Amino acid sequence: MRVGLACPYTWDVPGGVQVHVRDLAETLIAAGHEVSVITPVDDADALPPYAVDAGRALPVPYNGSVSRVLMGPVSATRVRRWLREHDFDVLHVHEPTAPSVGLLACMLADGPIIGTFHTANPRSKILTAAQGALQPSLEKLRARIAVSEAARRTIVEHLGTSAVLIPNGVRVAAFADARPLPGYEPPRHTVCFLGRIDEPRKGLDVLLAALPELARRVPGVRLLVAGPGDVAAVRSRLDPPLRDRVDLVGLVPGEDKARVFASADVYCAPNTGQESFGIVLLEAMAAGTPVMASDLDAFRRVLDDGRAGRLFGVGEPAQLAAGLADLLGDDAARAALARRGRALVAGYDWPVIVESIVDIYRMVTAGADPVSLASAADA
Amino acid sequence: MTVVVAVVAVVVAIATYLTWIARRLDRLGVRVDAARAGLVAQLAARAQAAVALAESRGLVSLAAAAEQALAGHAALRAGASLDNGVEDTENELSRALRAPEVGSAGQGAPELLHAVDSAAARVALARQLHNDAVRDLRALRGRRLVRMTRLGSRRPLPAYFEIDDALPARGGPLGAPPPGIGRPTRVVPGGAI
Repeated sequence: MRVGLACPYTWDVPGGVQVHVRDLAETLIAAGHEVSVITPVDDADALPPYAVDAGRALPVPYNGSVSRVLMGPVSATRVRRWLREHDFDVLHVHEPTAPSVGLLACMLADGPIIGTFHTANPRSKILTAAQGALQPSLEKLRARIAVSEAARRTIVEHLGTSAVLIPNGVRVAAFADARPLPGYEPPRHTVCFLGRIDEPRKGLDVLLAALPELARRVPGVRLLVAGPGDVAAVRSRLDPPLRDRVDLVGLVPGEDKARVFASADVYCAPNTGQESFGIVLLEAMAAGTPVMASDLDAFRRVLDDGRAGRLFGVGEPAQLAAGLADLLGDDAARAALARRGRALVAGYDWPVIVESIVDIYRMVTAGADPVSLASAADA
Repeated sequence: MTVVVAVVAVVVAIATYLTWIARRLDRLGVRVDAARAGLVAQLAARAQAAVALAESRGLVSLAAAAEQALAGHAALRAGASLDNGVEDTENELSRALRAPEVGSAGQGAPELLHAVDSAAARVALARQLHNDAVRDLRALRGRRLVRMTRLGSRRPLPAYFEIDDALPARGGPLGAPPPGIGRPTRVVPGGAI
């Protein structure tokens, strides 16, 4: 099947949607499908051979964090050319409510189009206000996929329609065989954190606030903190005696993420809100690293109500310190969590997820004409 | 002169807007037709899978319900409406598929049982795609401007297709959800289609 994927966010800036589109594309290609991705990108040399440059995106604040979006005549021309040059059986746009390539492709094309909704945003005034303007594009979608229950609810509440729930996939094999980073072989009393270090809702501050108490209870404890942001600013906020325990390695390349998990005894996700799914938790489980996560709805769901990972009160450093100390001191509990995590994550392996997505492709393309350019009056 | 220009501009704007609405209605009509064809195809696939299982395991009432459903599908493919009668027939098949003896007899033909369960999951999906398309078309047709101008009235208002397509819960080793659609939707607790 010839599949066109439209990715809304800058390819070479780390983000969940980009990773989703990349993994979906590569799994589809491995399964024998023909795939082309169109995406904004800063450095076009960073694009894999199956991807096409849609131009540079502008950063705008959206939904509590900075999103980079792209709309304009240049991108429209590129999307139109991409659609014309590829005779897609199905066009699969991502985040069709974001003002970027996904929405553009949706506006410019006609035929079997499906959309995947990633964002969960329970009280989005923007989305409610934009519904009327988006409706003409969204009504072209022959199938809607939500990657999480929260994202599905957002669609139901704001857009007055429903969606099929197909969760995010995980590249299980890539995480299962990683080696620890140098200096962490074997991991000892190490807790890792992944995510933007200066974005409050990622919760690094909660983990750092738990550190003094944690260090009292587990004298050898170390934190391995990976993620983009101002490393010097975070370091300067730490009490000098604690600085040696915190290893701020900055942004790690995608393939080293697995090694970060392999370097730690526990992965901590202290997020304080707005998480719609928790793919990182699944990645930690694929790596066999036990998870300690804040008790957000999405995390509780992914962790099978706490059976596949431990939960602590959102934004509660004291609870986090106690929970981490317990877990670091209990080898049997960690081994059991790792075992349950591996069993659970097998259901999210990309080849399994892609089977479901291809089922939907088959359903919307059966007997349908391929994707074509919409006439100018539609756009 | 200015009055004439203004009137012409307004008329052109209104005509452009109505053309645009008409185009959206057409496109939604195509989407509803495609979704309906997909639904009919999945209903047929489910009935055929049920016949295969029923014949292999000698399940008399399942065979009867499946044959009954199949008998109506030729007319559906020819364009007959998905009316209450069709809903009743398909409901009978859903019920027959959930009968405990289907699960137990199916242990002897796991591949056929698996095929039936996968087909049932695809019916649920196709029905959702159909009803979503119908909802979008009905929403646009319900707009006052569209009603007043009778833009959409060339074709009858499509109806939702409501059947009980809850998936059979199979116990034992065959309780594992079917591949494809059935599987990931069950991975996440509460993640019903």
